[in-house]
Amino acid sequence: MRAISVAPAAPVDAAVRAIIEIDDIDFHYGPARALHDITLNIKERQVTAFIGPSGCGKSTLLRCLNRMNDLIDGARVTAGQIRIDGVNIYDPRVDAIELRKRVGMVFQKSNPFPKSIYDNITYGLRIQGEKNKGRLDEVVERSLRGAALWDEVKDRLHESALGMSGGQQQRLCIARAIAVEPEIILMDEPCSALDPIATAKVEELIHELKKQFTIVIVTHNMQQAARCSDRTAFFYLGKLIEFADTRTIFMNPANPQTEAYVSGRFG
Amino acid sequence: MSTTAAAIFNRPTPAKRAETVVFWLLRLATYFVLFCAAFIFIDIGWKGGSVVFRTQAPFLNVPFLTEAPETLNVFTLDGQPRTMGDRAFRAFKATHEAELKGVRIETYVYSAGGIFPNIVGTVLLVAGSVLIALVLGVLSAIYLSEYATDGPFIRFLRLAIINLAGVPSIVFGLFGFGLFVIALDFGVSLLAGWLTMAFMVLPIIITASEEALKAVPRGYREGSLALGATKFQAITTNVLPYALPGILTSSVLSIARVAGETAPIMFTAAFVVRDELPWQVAKWTDFFFQGVMALPYHIYVVASKIPQNEYTRDVQYGTAFVFLFTVAAIAMTAVILRQRLRKRYKW
Amino acid sequence: MKRFFDAELEAFRSHLLQMGERAIDQTRLAMKALADADLALADKVIAADDELDRLEVQIDDEAIRYMTLRGPVASELRLIVVGMKASHDLERVGDEATGIARRSRKLAIEPRLELYADLPRMANIALEMLRDALDCFVQEDEQKALSVIRRDPEVDNLNRTVYRRLTSYMIEKPDTIARALELMFISKSLERIADHATNIAEEMVFLSKGQDIRHSDIGKQDVLPAITNPPV
Repeated sequence: MRAISVAPAAPVDAAVRAIIEIDDIDFHYGPARALHDITLNIKERQVTAFIGPSGCGKSTLLRCLNRMNDLIDGARVTAGQIRIDGVNIYDPRVDAIELRKRVGMVFQKSNPFPKSIYDNITYGLRIQGEKNKGRLDEVVERSLRGAALWDEVKDRLHESALGMSGGQQQRLCIARAIAVEPEIILMDEPCSALDPIATAKVEELIHELKKQFTIVIVTHNMQQAARCSDRTAFFYLGKLIEFADTRTIFMNPANPQTEAYVSGRFG
Repeated sequence: MSTTAAAIFNRPTPAKRAETVVFWLLRLATYFVLFCAAFIFIDIGWKGGSVVFRTQAPFLNVPFLTEAPETLNVFTLDGQPRTMGDRAFRAFKATHEAELKGVRIETYVYSAGGIFPNIVGTVLLVAGSVLIALVLGVLSAIYLSEYATDGPFIRFLRLAIINLAGVPSIVFGLFGFGLFVIALDFGVSLLAGWLTMAFMVLPIIITASEEALKAVPRGYREGSLALGATKFQAITTNVLPYALPGILTSSVLSIARVAGETAPIMFTAAFVVRDELPWQVAKWTDFFFQGVMALPYHIYVVASKIPQNEYTRDVQYGTAFVFLFTVAAIAMTAVILRQRLRKRYKW
Repeated sequence: MKRFFDAELEAFRSHLLQMGERAIDQTRLAMKALADADLALADKVIAADDELDRLEVQIDDEAIRYMTLRGPVASELRLIVVGMKASHDLERVGDEATGIARRSRKLAIEPRLELYADLPRMANIALEMLRDALDCFVQEDEQKALSVIRRDPEVDNLNRTVYRRLTSYMIEKPDTIARALELMFISKSLERIADHATNIAEEMVFLSKGQDIRHSDIGKQDVLPAITNPPV
């Protein structure tokens, strides 16, 4: 395949600060190169969507942003930098634990712990040593309200989180993530296991959350990327093919591969 | 009716006949196993039950469960056949010295009294060795499944663990005897028995614990880490608790194994007979360095090391029955514990 | 469930109504400029057309944005499609109004021809049709839409009457030909406005019922036939 020129991202608002700067990143799983020279900026309090076929590297890149890839044997960033607020997060002085408190994550398969709703929300704070009941109560209410879940569960905070519906579980995971007050929330296909109604609720939530958080979402659902995101990046075979304002990507993409993918004519 | 509709009606084919035959073979095989197991349990239950239970209150043969084994004295006095345990006989002899003169007294070792020290010894051996094995095993399993990165050394380690499971128990017994009893000079002692048997069941516990840890969804680990937990915090708060039921399942298996083995303890921990009970020690450290009597070893002794006659039969069956019951009780405790944990952490 | 992009749909709807109001206003003012021979007013009408053009572009942009990002289906899809077409019709109404204003400028500096009487009547009917058509947009009342469609022949007839009268007038008084021709074009514009109103009314039926009644006799009937989706 020929080298692909990347269309410059048309900024939705040039004045918005770039909170994450991904600078010429290479990533390897053992000998296999998963990401090729990725460069893109993620703006503060915007929703940025990563789309592309399976195995295109979008989830890998997402997991680089909070160093979740550290946990996989042989997986490593081999070139380039990722800077959050100007700090290279792969600097040896950076503590991945501290980083993950600032960069929360919501997973594809909702993973509420088999504990009570209350214990799920307070998990992050408790492992940080917070014991003050009043403060924990306050955080539970604030987080659940933030995740539009408070009214549904306020009477059963001490029941198991596994008794909730799939959509509620995923919103609980979002509430759990915002309970530790991150600046950035990464979402790895958060709706892929949900029905359309639960999906719509999560999308509503994303729209609410972007007032306060910077959100990066990986999705296979093109409609979802179109509905939720401000900017969209299309990846293919570990390369960033096109990164632009979402409307541009879906109406007038510069690259024919992007066009083929978003119109469902790929491959 | 269309041909398709006609085709779905039942008609015999060779495949269907084979199906019926195989089905019956499988069923018969299962019934055969069931029959054998039932025979063993009913035999021991019937014959052993008649030793342990009584038809009158308190319905239990209390002395059998609460006294130490004694030698049985059998003699005929004044035309009356009498059987007496050793202690009772000595008291009897003190008062009836004259009458007993010239009376032929037959003695049968271990055929009187009870098996209380053996029960205590077995419970102590099982509890201690399973505890040691669980602690060592779970720690190793956490290392292997959560921390170790795959490599030649770890592969070698796993191979070693698997091979350990295949070592015959008598070899463990000799190993324990060589290392703990002689080289480390523990003597024939509880501690030597515990360690020997702990090593014997370690492979079961490590393998099962590793499986149990792996069965905990990855999402719980990732979920914890993504919230800023350290790896150790993630494991202790969000992996190990959910793996416990599975780990306890493996411990049930190892309890049965530890309780049942004779070979590893006969050189390391078991006494044929000992007058003191385990808690009758001079200072607390002696507790670990004393030998104990144990049920399986007692069965071995009464079944093969003493002359057989109508008096030893009761002891054999009674001991076997109590032994089965004890093992079942210990295992049941673990099962109940596991069920309760499972209810608490269900996913 | 309410979605965050419902607001976009509401904005789209209100921009369309706003455009309708403006188009009606423009036409009314153009007719007033004609009647009062008001040059300033005519200029104002001509200048205001830009705003209508801007609104058309904006509505199209919103429609494309909504289709691109929100994936509308069913009534939302019909609203977007109808909105785009109606905005085009309204833009044309605005153009007609501008045309009337231009011609009224020319007429204002000439002696008055006393043949205007039918034109305000035509304008009234056409604007009423337009307003009713836009009301349907708010109320989704297809009866009202049908009544709009049924009024169109009235305007057509008036237009023909104006033509006949102006033709005979021009034969009688050839020096009025230039002025009479302007009036003819104004009449034609009003007739066109009524046609656009009819189009919008037909679009509104499509919006509320999903039934396309263009180029058929359905619009001329009093009651719409019950909608029947094709059997599966």
